[in-house]
Amino acid sequence: MAKKLGKKARKFAKKNLQSVLKRRRKLKAVFKKRSAPRGGNNRDALEGDEKVKLDQNMEGNSGGVILDGSITENDLENVFPEEDEDLNDDISDSDGYLSEDTECPYISESESENDSTKKNAHIDLVGKNKELSTEITQQRKKLNRLIKKDPEFSNFLESRKNDMEISRREELYSDEDEDEDDTSYPDGDAVQDSKGSLSDKILTSSTIDVWCWLVMQEPSGPAVRNLLNGFRVACRYGVDSNKIISKKIQSREVFSKILTFVLSEADNIFRRLLRMSDSGRKENIPKLKSASEWRTVSPLMESYLRSSLYLLHQITDNQILIFVLSRLRASIIFFSAFPSLARRLIKIAVHLWATGDQSLSLSSFTIIRDIASELPSDYLDICLTRTYKSFIVCSKFVEHANLKHIEFLMNSIVELHSLDIRKSSQRVLTSVQQLGSILRKAFKTKKKEELKMIHSWQYINCINMWVKFITCNSRDNDLQPLVFSVIQVITGVAHLFPGLRNIPLRFKCVQMLNELSLSSGVFVPIASLVFECLDYKESGNLDTTRGTKINFSSLLKVPKQLLKSQDFHEECVLSAIELLSAHFAQWSYHISFPELTAIPLILLKRFDAKTTIEGLRRPVRRLIDQVEQNRDFIQRKRDEVSFSPNDQASADSFTQLEKSSGNAPFTQYYASVLQNSRTRIIVN
Amino acid sequence: MGKRKKVILPPDLPLEIAEDELQLSDEDFDFVRKNRKYAGFLTKLDTKSIDRHVTRVADHKEDELEALYEKRNRKAALLKVQEDEAQVDPVDALPIRTLDGDWKYRTAKKERYEDKSNDTASPKKDDDEEKGVIRLTKAERRQKLKKDKKEAKKVAKEEGEMDVPEGKLHSEVLEKVQEDLSAEELFTKKKIKVAKVGMTLLENPESNIRSLTDLLQICDDEDHNIVKLGLMSLLAVFKDIIPGYRIRQLTEKELAVQVSEAVRKMRYYEYTLLRSYKAYILKLIGLEKQTSFRQVAVRCMCTLLDTAPHFNFRESLLISVVKNISSSDDVVRKLCCETIKSLFANEGKHGGEATLQAVRLIADHVKFHDCQLHPDSVYVFLSLKFDEDLRKSEKMEEKGRPKKRRGWHNHEVPNQLQGSDKKRSRRDLIEKTRKEVNADLKSVSFVPDPMERRRMQSEALSAVFQTYFRILKHSMDPANSRSKVNAISLPGGSTAYPLLAPCLDGLGKFSHLIDLDFMSDLIGCLKKLAGYSDRHDGISHQNSLSVSERLQCCVVAFRVMRSNLDALNVDLQDFFVQLYNLILEYRPDRDRGEVLAEALKTMLWEGRQHDMQRAAAFIKRLATFSLSFGSAEAMAALVTLTHLLQKNSKCRNLLENDAGGGSLSGLVVKYQPEATDPYLSGALASVLWELSLLMKHYNPSISSMAASISTMANMNPAQNQAYLSTISPPQAFADLSIERELLKQSSKPLSLNIKSRREKGKEFVVLDPDQLQRVESFLDEDQVKLRLEDHFTVLRDISENERLRGELNRTSLSLSLYEEYKMQKKKRDNKTKRRKDAKV
Repeated sequence: MAKKLGKKARKFAKKNLQSVLKRRRKLKAVFKKRSAPRGGNNRDALEGDEKVKLDQNMEGNSGGVILDGSITENDLENVFPEEDEDLNDDISDSDGYLSEDTECPYISESESENDSTKKNAHIDLVGKNKELSTEITQQRKKLNRLIKKDPEFSNFLESRKNDMEISRREELYSDEDEDEDDTSYPDGDAVQDSKGSLSDKILTSSTIDVWCWLVMQEPSGPAVRNLLNGFRVACRYGVDSNKIISKKIQSREVFSKILTFVLSEADNIFRRLLRMSDSGRKENIPKLKSASEWRTVSPLMESYLRSSLYLLHQITDNQILIFVLSRLRASIIFFSAFPSLARRLIKIAVHLWATGDQSLSLSSFTIIRDIASELPSDYLDICLTRTYKSFIVCSKFVEHANLKHIEFLMNSIVELHSLDIRKSSQRVLTSVQQLGSILRKAFKTKKKEELKMIHSWQYINCINMWVKFITCNSRDNDLQPLVFSVIQVITGVAHLFPGLRNIPLRFKCVQMLNELSLSSGVFVPIASLVFECLDYKESGNLDTTRGTKINFSSLLKVPKQLLKSQDFHEECVLSAIELLSAHFAQWSYHISFPELTAIPLILLKRFDAKTTIEGLRRPVRRLIDQVEQNRDFIQRKRDEVSFSPNDQASADSFTQLEKSSGNAPFTQYYASVLQNSRTRIIVN
Repeated sequence: MGKRKKVILPPDLPLEIAEDELQLSDEDFDFVRKNRKYAGFLTKLDTKSIDRHVTRVADHKEDELEALYEKRNRKAALLKVQEDEAQVDPVDALPIRTLDGDWKYRTAKKERYEDKSNDTASPKKDDDEEKGVIRLTKAERRQKLKKDKKEAKKVAKEEGEMDVPEGKLHSEVLEKVQEDLSAEELFTKKKIKVAKVGMTLLENPESNIRSLTDLLQICDDEDHNIVKLGLMSLLAVFKDIIPGYRIRQLTEKELAVQVSEAVRKMRYYEYTLLRSYKAYILKLIGLEKQTSFRQVAVRCMCTLLDTAPHFNFRESLLISVVKNISSSDDVVRKLCCETIKSLFANEGKHGGEATLQAVRLIADHVKFHDCQLHPDSVYVFLSLKFDEDLRKSEKMEEKGRPKKRRGWHNHEVPNQLQGSDKKRSRRDLIEKTRKEVNADLKSVSFVPDPMERRRMQSEALSAVFQTYFRILKHSMDPANSRSKVNAISLPGGSTAYPLLAPCLDGLGKFSHLIDLDFMSDLIGCLKKLAGYSDRHDGISHQNSLSVSERLQCCVVAFRVMRSNLDALNVDLQDFFVQLYNLILEYRPDRDRGEVLAEALKTMLWEGRQHDMQRAAAFIKRLATFSLSFGSAEAMAALVTLTHLLQKNSKCRNLLENDAGGGSLSGLVVKYQPEATDPYLSGALASVLWELSLLMKHYNPSISSMAASISTMANMNPAQNQAYLSTISPPQAFADLSIERELLKQSSKPLSLNIKSRREKGKEFVVLDPDQLQRVESFLDEDQVKLRLEDHFTVLRDISENERLRGELNRTSLSLSLYEEYKMQKKKRDNKTKRRKDAKV
């Protein structure tokens, strides 16, 4: 493996080194030019020197650096396919682009991996480090003693050194920092020396302060470059094994200072550089691109964005992530100039959105939404696809704990889809048709796998999502064909799984139908789907032990052992009452209300007469009373009118006056039912 | 035993079989004794041949064998007594035709056979013996298969030791040979043999008819696959060579006449064929009881019955097939049902006799199992075909005769006997004359004369109705409560009365053939089943039938009534009441919607003039119904409703909100939706307000239907007929069923014409924007800084750890190098020393 890697790396270096070197030289030249006339400022000159030195150093090491980059590129090939095969449509072209740029090697580890190593390492790191250093001093003492005893040995060691190095290189050719160390190894003095030579490059707190000050004073000055380089180093800190980088920042103060400053000010700086107004977030990028400043600013900007993304990928702390995300959101508009970065941002943000905790998820969503709304429309497509896919992955299991999260994900997808109704309704229609074809297949074959596919949270959540989409948008748009298709699919699902055990699933369907009906104003008959639990025969051996509470919201199928429990029975009837009253409430002002409620009333009355469960009698009676009251009210009103059923217009205007006032007893009753159900859920 | 046979016929035997037969031992016999049930078959079958065999070989040396045989003999005798006492076993009931053409029943056969055997050709005798032998061994093997192989091997060994040295040697050799041949090789060898024999038989059945016995022997193989192959190839052979006529027994006279060589040959051929066929069928019947062979055996029997229903031994085939008609094995059951159906459909093949037999057997089967069978077993009756005029002409012909059948009443049996007696005498007469005129034609042709055909049909019909009535009676019997039925728990029948649905279907189909005499009984019975009672107690009346079944009862009652227009004096009023209430009981997934649609069609859509009150009540109820149920049901209801409105012009008042509408309502002035009697609902006083909600139905076809109904009020009464819709409720139901709708949806092109009324939306639709803002304002920069610092420390510690570890490695490596250094140094020192020495 190592050998193969090495070969690849060398090949890569050969291919790409030239351009990189050229670029570096150019950069350096610019720097020199700029720093030369400002020699008066001692510190600045020093900085300039430093920079040059650094650059030289980098040049010297550039082979190594590039090797480094290429390794990660190679890793990418290994990691990405398994990480998210399905999502990676754009990664290949971004690859090429990235590896050209040595400044910011691509991140190879996946976040979770990183996470685990860090955590494990941190627990006993300090202790371990101490142990290690004592051991080293012991060993070194021993060695020194030997060398003192026999000076020739040091010569021998020197001669063996090269062999060791070569063999090492073959094994771990990438660890050039170790090579570096090796060269300076022979005795303690040498180590000291090498440290000393590096120490002048260390970024100190005061350096950063000065840079910040300079940048704030004059954004176009060279300090921006330094600062961004420092920022880049900080972002990559600890992840690369590159010693130079890890040596450059030695205090945590510096680390946090440079990160916070750059993150919070970069956007302003770029805007000032590009002479954009602060408020003008909607500046269009093509115009910016044509501006003369663009050529100088764009590499800086790219470096900043890239480093921030890198940071985003490395960090696991929610607070920092939210901070970085919020800062990136400010400069979201700049991403449109760098498509590959934008895609990467989408990917990271979607990942955080789907897996993060509440606040992180929220802030990732805001950035996704900004991308979708402020960047060109093909980014909207990417966002829609990505979010949809990760939602499908996430919604595989629904438990009481993640109900809220799933609902949030659903809402955010609906939100995204609502950005461009014309475009997204087509997508939704396609998705619904796909759901429909799965359902049709299941109806035809009744095979277990196909039934299972439908009897899954993924399927139900997907439908639920589109129902939400429709309910949110049907007021302003004509989504009638979509409504029809979705209703078909939902009724199909409800009928595909009969029986008491599937009542939670069926009630979900009924609820969705109610929502659809309410939002689109069409009539959807749902009563028959609820009847089953009203004539549920009470077998004598009803288990009255009050054990586990049943909550339908996180169930599709009732566990068998609960089928006979009284709790289940009660929950069934109470949910049925809820659904029926929602249905009736919707049509409570309609002229057909008495007819609509006729059959359910008969069944409810029969249930009331039959039931032995005291806890159910009251709510059922209450529903009956309310429905009868409203029925009588409508009948009284109906007796006053003179039009016939074929006069649709007059029928529509029937009792509109009362409806607009909105405080009929039935509406109030429905509100109280909703209230009750909510408290019931909370109690459960 | 096997050895015995070898003494007689050594060259004939294939190796496997010989080896096999050596495995007879005490243990085997013990096993047989323990499992008499299984052994019964073989002992019953073979006593004669064994007897003879034993006596014949008695002079041979093996004493122990003889002892065994004697034991066996005793047992057999015992069994025989039992057998004689028992009623005729179906297997033994099969007559056997000897060469001289005599039909012999098993029990009487022996003496005759031995008389003849002396003067008939010797090969035949051998055959017979061989057959006996095979039978035994086959049976033995069947026992053996039940043991596991290990035991079998052990047995073989023991037995080898027990046997006389000669046999032992032989068996050892054979075992070796057998082991040498790999199992696969053996299998292919046997396969090839089967194929060869089969081919020769097909090529020239006349001369190779004896190969049938070879094939039969192959079916005794211990390899299941070979047995299956053997059975299938025998099936193919029989299918091919069975003649188109039934092989008739030869009369004494015919036997006495000197015949030509050709005729003699023919007789021999027929005899062998028949005998092998019988053996084959016996084997099939035997194998059918074993689970591993059941499917193959049943398949063979079904195919035989299907292709050669005219041939001998049809009865035993039929018995087996009917027995399996309600098998729990889906494949077997389907096969049997298909066979019976094709038997019913192709009466030309057997002249209807088989139909009658099958129907009777099924009737007995149902009776025997107390109606607890798979519905398929009665569904087959639906494929029966009866002449349309059957009942009428029969009635004419049997004028003056007392009631022929009296349903499920007790006098049924004597009546029937009487009837059949009469018929038999008539038939005898006809047959006599016919024989005189054309005896030969009769034996060849299977076209029955119309009288005969009619007789058989009416008998079959009576058996069918007898079964149906039995089922109805059973369903009504409160003793057959669900709890009892559940204990039986039939595989196919999900309902308590598995046979009721097919029975009702059948009654519906053959309603025109039902005798008027028990029409009223039938209707009364259906009424009860439909759940009608003076139910003031309402639900407490526990009707155990499902809604679909009750609806079906209503449908059948109407069918029966309609196909017997002359019997209109039956009051069907109660069924309307039933339907009116059953509509409310309907649950979409529990009950079959097609039945509801069918009921709507038969009772309301097809009906002639309806009473206005009733029509109005149904119109109102159907409209209300469609507000609560899915689109398919709603559509069926609306179609019926339209039809009712068209036929009853006065009911169109329901469509208009007329203040004077009450004038028509008569008794009840206000509509009572909860009334259970359509006549008392006062529906005429109501207005079809349902339509205005239905017009908002999500399904466009329903909303347009509702809209068109609402315009019917303005229809000219004269236009009645022109508007009659052609679609029937079941059709409408099927058209709007979920499956069909989903299909429609998928075939529709993707088109969405969104008229977006707002530009790219910026405002939030679901989520609370404040919440989003809050998250960011929540951020504390100092906090972030602290966290960043922590992050940095962790990172630094990690890299420090890495560095230290590397350093440690290097140092220890250097230390370990010291050893090497010392070695080299020593060498060098030695060298220099030597050099020094040399110098010195």
